[in-house]
Amino acid sequence: MVLTGRAALLAGAGVVFVALVMPSWAGVGLVVAVVLVVCVVDLLLAGSPRRLQFSRDGDNAVRLGEQAVVQLLVTNPGRRVRGWLRDAWPPSAGVQDPPHKLDLPSGERRRLVTHLVPTRRGDRHAVRVTVRAFGPMGFAGRQGSHEVPWTVRALPPFNSRKHLPSRLARLRELDGRTALLVRGQGTEFDSLQDYVPGDDVRSIDWRATARRGNVVLRTWRPERDRQVVIVIDSGRLSAGRVGDAPRLDHAMDAALLLAALATRAGDRVSLLACDSAVRADVRRPAPQDVLPSFVNALANVEAELVQTDFRIVVSQVLERLGQRSLVVLLTGLDPAVIEESLLPVIGPLLRRHVVVLASVADPRLTELESARTDLPEVYAAASAARTRLDRDRLTATLTRAGVTVVDEDPDHIAPALADTYLALKKAGRL
Amino acid sequence: MSTPLGRSAGESWRVLRTPLLVTGLIVLAAIVILIATSARTSGPFSPDSTDSDGARALAALLENHGVDVHSTETLDDAVQPGEGKALIIGPAGSLGRPDLERIAQARWSHLVLIRPGSRALEILAPGVQQTGDVLSSRSREAQCDLPAAVRAGTVTVSGPTYSAPSAAVACYGDGINNTVVRLEVGDRIVDVVGTPTSFTNAQLADDGNAALALNLIGTHQDLTWYLPQFESTDTGTADSGSAPLIPPDVRYIGWALAFAVLVVAIWRGRRLGPVVAERLPVIVHAAETTEGRARLYRRSRARDRAAAALRESALGQLHEAHGIPRRADPSAVVATVAARTGRDPVMLYELLYGLPPLSDAALMSLSHELDVLTQEVRKP
Repeated sequence: MVLTGRAALLAGAGVVFVALVMPSWAGVGLVVAVVLVVCVVDLLLAGSPRRLQFSRDGDNAVRLGEQAVVQLLVTNPGRRVRGWLRDAWPPSAGVQDPPHKLDLPSGERRRLVTHLVPTRRGDRHAVRVTVRAFGPMGFAGRQGSHEVPWTVRALPPFNSRKHLPSRLARLRELDGRTALLVRGQGTEFDSLQDYVPGDDVRSIDWRATARRGNVVLRTWRPERDRQVVIVIDSGRLSAGRVGDAPRLDHAMDAALLLAALATRAGDRVSLLACDSAVRADVRRPAPQDVLPSFVNALANVEAELVQTDFRIVVSQVLERLGQRSLVVLLTGLDPAVIEESLLPVIGPLLRRHVVVLASVADPRLTELESARTDLPEVYAAASAARTRLDRDRLTATLTRAGVTVVDEDPDHIAPALADTYLALKKAGRL
Repeated sequence: MSTPLGRSAGESWRVLRTPLLVTGLIVLAAIVILIATSARTSGPFSPDSTDSDGARALAALLENHGVDVHSTETLDDAVQPGEGKALIIGPAGSLGRPDLERIAQARWSHLVLIRPGSRALEILAPGVQQTGDVLSSRSREAQCDLPAAVRAGTVTVSGPTYSAPSAAVACYGDGINNTVVRLEVGDRIVDVVGTPTSFTNAQLADDGNAALALNLIGTHQDLTWYLPQFESTDTGTADSGSAPLIPPDVRYIGWALAFAVLVVAIWRGRRLGPVVAERLPVIVHAAETTEGRARLYRRSRARDRAAAALRESALGQLHEAHGIPRRADPSAVVATVAARTGRDPVMLYELLYGLPPLSDAALMSLSHELDVLTQEVRKP
């Protein structure tokens, strides 16, 4: 049961009535009786929210920061329902609409539209639909709720896709589709063609030249159909916020750019998100499915406040890779964690594969280190310098061990990782 | 597709009716028991009170001796025609002058005033006056020829005392200050008793208290036991003279207002569905450990560690900028940097490899100089 402002107004008028006309118990009783009778009659004449029928339709997934549209179809088999309807979602689903005004005559149906702009990644479930139906006089009404399930999945935003065209152009250069022939170690033999003055004489195939009688050149192209495994650490190293998002989100962004690029380069990309257990696992999807399957798998991965078990990472990666492959590990450069739990177990991975470790650097450290106007800031600068020195030392250790380290700001980590991939490909190290 | 939540009206009624019925029965039973056992009066010297300062024992004793005790708290019972009847006026409350005059005109045959005030004495027992002395609690002889007191023997007496006119009989005192005074006003006997504690449940069994009480009070078959209440004296008290502070209509307006407030509360109090709660991720800033370490440095005044970190950082930048090998000798580093920047090599050595600063000011200046040095290196 709900009352409205009109009922309150009536009761307020009752106070005036008692004060001016009937200052007695009878007056008070009369006012109470009138208000009660009006409200009860109105309540009995109101339509029933419980008898309404609902169904939903609309978007199932939306990229974070964009708008999803979910429709709610309300059917009224009973008496006319006039009032308000609230389509309740969790706060981070970002409902844009105030409660809907509803006027639904008997036997009709209406389509109400709810706009959602999710503020966090992951699945957002509709909570309930609450309807408040007022009586014909508008003094009192009934209220009831319905469970109308629907889920909108907020996918990782993939902001770094703006870097994709420039990297694809460089990939084409590399690929030989623009007539650039570079011989690198580990590149694959492509074809033989006639020598033109200006070509690299080191590329002349003397055996074929002898066979044919004119000078023949070997051409090369980068390898294709290589395996790339992207491992995202979803443990506590990824929980820390850099800027306004956790490291994990920046890592996902970089992973998506790399996946898009590597797919276009003809490589097979797999994804693994892991902390103390595997959180997402996508194995070699078809090229056209790479991005959709990755964003879907990553949508519900949140950073857990546990220590990542790198033994799981190593065994999972080794299990799915036969040939020499690229393993990209997106984690944090924390000396204690990396030295104690990653370095002891990474040996088997390094022997067979190329390992890249990418970490999101915190621009806040640079800020702390450069601001030195008062004593607390000097101590902060010293502390930040110590952190950076530790990271540099760790980077050196990892590089010596054969790991390629990419340590960049959130804004630059995705392109930097893509560039590292291109450089590795160009050098024929895959 | 959609499922209604919560219970319908019928379901609610089916679920709630048994608890409601049980609750209703319990409340009803409680009310019945309360009415059945409730005393008509309460408080000190009440004939219905079984507390230590009540007088239930005396009332029971009087009833055993064939006296009909009517306890009351309303003035109307005390001003009814009282020929052949007795009236006790209890100590509580302060009756107004018109009330006392009405009691005086009611023609009670016997009036017992328990610890009366001066206004009551003036109207109901003329000539008797409160003396201001207070007797301590102990056993006393009657010291008078009032038969009721003489037969009772010693009595535990305490409380205010009264002076009696010569026509009256005064007992339990030193002749001037007495605690029991009996006088006759017209054809009415008036007893003034200053010691109500003697007749309470706690002390009735001591000495001859019970005997004195029975002899004094149990003179008539019909006894009205009146305990004046403050509210019974407030309304209609003519000698206050002025109009009541709050007009009586305000009460009704107040009730109507309370009802309106209730309606407003129900109107504003009902939400359009419950608040939706959500699990939120923990927000940890990645630089938090670094900032924490900075505070630790500062709290423990770790100038040596801070200076070492700053120097190492600056050296790293110098190495990079001047292409000095990582493992270069300090003197080689100083020589190279001095050659590039034109600084004094001794000062430079002190700056880069000197002792830890001894004060915060020294740390500040060290930090500043290192900053300047690295900036110089960065610029050209």
